[in-house]
Amino acid sequence: MFALELVGVTKCYGQRYALRDVDLSLATGSALGLLGPNGAGKTSALRMLLGFTKASAGTVRLQGLSPRDPASRIGVAYLPERLTLPGRMTVLSFLRHHAALAGLHGAELESDVEAVLEQTGLSARALNRLGSLSKGLIQRVGFAQAFLAKPKLLIFDEPTSGLDPIGVRDARDWILAARERGCSILMSSHLLSEVERTCDQVAIIDEGTLVARGGIDELVEEGETLEDAFVRLVRR
Amino acid sequence: MRHAATSVFSELASEAFRDAMRRRIVPVIVVFALLSLLAVDSCTSCAGSSQIVRGGEQVSVHEISGWAGMLIFTVLSLWTMVLAGLLASDHLAETVFDGSANLILARPVRRSEFALARLAGALGIATGTGAVVLTVSTYLLHLRNGVSLGAAIWAGLACVAGALVVAALAMTLSLFLARIATAMSVLFFVGAITFVNVFTLFGASLGRLGNILQHFTPPLCTAVVVALQPWIAPVVPDVDPTIMALKLGFWVVASVLILLATFQKRELGS
Repeated sequence: MFALELVGVTKCYGQRYALRDVDLSLATGSALGLLGPNGAGKTSALRMLLGFTKASAGTVRLQGLSPRDPASRIGVAYLPERLTLPGRMTVLSFLRHHAALAGLHGAELESDVEAVLEQTGLSARALNRLGSLSKGLIQRVGFAQAFLAKPKLLIFDEPTSGLDPIGVRDARDWILAARERGCSILMSSHLLSEVERTCDQVAIIDEGTLVARGGIDELVEEGETLEDAFVRLVRR
Repeated sequence: MRHAATSVFSELASEAFRDAMRRRIVPVIVVFALLSLLAVDSCTSCAGSSQIVRGGEQVSVHEISGWAGMLIFTVLSLWTMVLAGLLASDHLAETVFDGSANLILARPVRRSEFALARLAGALGIATGTGAVVLTVSTYLLHLRNGVSLGAAIWAGLACVAGALVVAALAMTLSLFLARIATAMSVLFFVGAITFVNVFTLFGASLGRLGNILQHFTPPLCTAVVVALQPWIAPVVPDVDPTIMALKLGFWVVASVLILLATFQKRELGS
């Protein structure tokens, strides 16, 4: 059973190919790191998986359904690379709103919101307006909304962007905790060391084409780091 | 299973309404509404005591009051429609362009639910303000000038329908244009339709272009004036109220469907 699947997917923006005949899947309970240089097509793949944009060709499935079907997004949490939050809302009201949209209500909603505030170290900031928070704290709010309602699938686009070293380590711990719960994870990142620590599989995309896919041990040759393997594969 | 669509929509709509309430323009709207009410208070106190002579005969106080009342109600209705359009001109687009819509749409939420909720939020502020201003104005007109309340209810419904049409079309346009361009389009659209409606209602001919505009644009001003016809009797505009209601109803449905279809096809950024 796949948590998500791209089969022969091509995405064109006018004459430019963002993705070209890409096959990619994530088995339920696995963690896949999506790697690639800037403009390789990683974000386009994530956008198609969430139904924000349509594939020019091929099939996209999220939890076995078309991403345009809202049911495909039940239990899915997303953290975008550029996180813009409504500055006039407080952290608490924002999380309550997302918890309600994730299907929680009543006492369950309140206790879940309290739990993610505690988990992400935002309890003291609960009544602050989102517009008054620093970039790092905004990113923590992004993680907090993603962990609401115990998601089954996390889709993260550069999740540690804007975090300080402590924040990066916290984020890694949260992601690993989610993995231990059996959560499937698709994570696009430039931080290869983070991918190495949190994912069991990687897929490398370069100029819209999938150039490598497999377990980290399979892609990294003897004496190489993941970074060496990445550079070798994208320059091939 | 996805939780009930009504609960998703009510959550989205109430947040969209709160978001609209938090905007900096809201205090301006409140001040403008109060000034409008002061102006209405002043107009309704003097309309009954005016004297106009037409063809050597004095026009009845009842007739003067009716025309003054219709003018006041129509202007306030058009103001409500413009306000709905201006509020809608970035209420959805802002979330799309800054990417904040993506977090919502990554949840089990239909695009149509999100767009309708944003429309409801903008419309709630505009029609809420319009309802207060029109209700107080109508009450003053009824109390001081004796106009009938039944006509005002129909005209109020026409105003809400017109506001919905303008807001939905402005929201659609805002997905393609910058906010200021959308706001200018709202002013031009409502202004042009009002101009054509008023002149056509009272028998003036505006040529071919005027006829096209009169027939193929929403009857924003005409619908309100026709509903208020009892206030200006025996003058009867040459318009069938049923046809007018059907035409406005068509535009309500069409404008919402255009918005939903446009937003459904829209590619969302990261």
